Amino acid sequence: MISCTEFIPAYSELFRYLDERGGHDEVVRFWEYLSDNFLHNLRDLVTEHGLRGCWIYWSHTLNEEAADFTMELDEEAGEFRIIMHHCPSKGLLMELEQMEPYHDYCGHCDLLYRRVLEPLGFECIADLSECDRARCSFVVRRAAGRSAPGAAGIEQ
Amino acid sequence: MPKEVMERRASDNEYLHRDFHGALSSALIYLEERFGPEAVREYLGEFAHAYYAPLREDLLARGLPAIAERLRRVYETEGGEARLRLTDDELIVEVPACPAVRHMRARGYAVSPMWRETIRSVNEGICEGTPWEFELLQYREDTGASTGRFFRREEADAQ
Repeated sequence: MISCTEFIPAYSELFRYLDERGGHDEVVRFWEYLSDNFLHNLRDLVTEHGLRGCWIYWSHTLNEEAADFTMELDEEAGEFRIIMHHCPSKGLLMELEQMEPYHDYCGHCDLLYRRVLEPLGFECIADLSECDRARCSFVVRRAAGRSAPGAAGIEQ
Repeated sequence: MPKEVMERRASDNEYLHRDFHGALSSALIYLEERFGPEAVREYLGEFAHAYYAPLREDLLARGLPAIAERLRRVYETEGGEARLRLTDDELIVEVPACPAVRHMRARGYAVSPMWRETIRSVNEGICEGTPWEFELLQYREDTGASTGRFFRREEADAQ
């Protein structure tokens, strides 16, 4: 059995495996599949609650992942923000001596969540410039001129 | 409503995100559909060989207690049960119900038809390059219940 505490190295090795089979495009193809087929929970929460759905979703996942983070929800401003002070996944991979993290490991976060949220009327801004130090940020905003789900009556 | 803020340090929570089992299952489904069943075995074997390198070294040095200790740790963490029968030459592992399968079924995640390979291919990968071998004796798709056996490779060669 692979423990869920061992999943992140398995995930990183999967990206490496796919890259060896078909290059980075093959990795991206998998990320798209996973976003479409695994992130129903995030999609459903944001569809029902709007931006607050992000808050509900990441309140669950980031606490279970024992992340070191600050999360902010400003519904009046139409903005949700995660500041990851220390990503438990990238941090774990960087500590392993027996294997190297996949070179674009952090790329999956941006693609997976953007692919769910943009069709629902939000724009996503990911800053991965410090991901080699296990730090990043992710901002979700109501896209200009679009009313988001779960926000009936709110005009932009 | 005013801005809401949540601040957490890593030490505030236990690291245990069981939904990762569902993500791994999705990955195995994808691999099988796109590249065929052999890709699932190959990937899991390569992962096991790389990630469990320290365990393989421990297995070489101490033998089967290294495997038994890991399994006790994993099933305790996952809230599952593994009944272990350990001798000098053999370790029988009986799992009445796989905690990962239980979680996925409860949460409505699709369980890969090749989920058993997370036991078979992974344990074969761990044993690679050691005097030990693994065989999966029984597996139930509905619960993930399984019985497996680690044994000396000479015994496998003689069969």
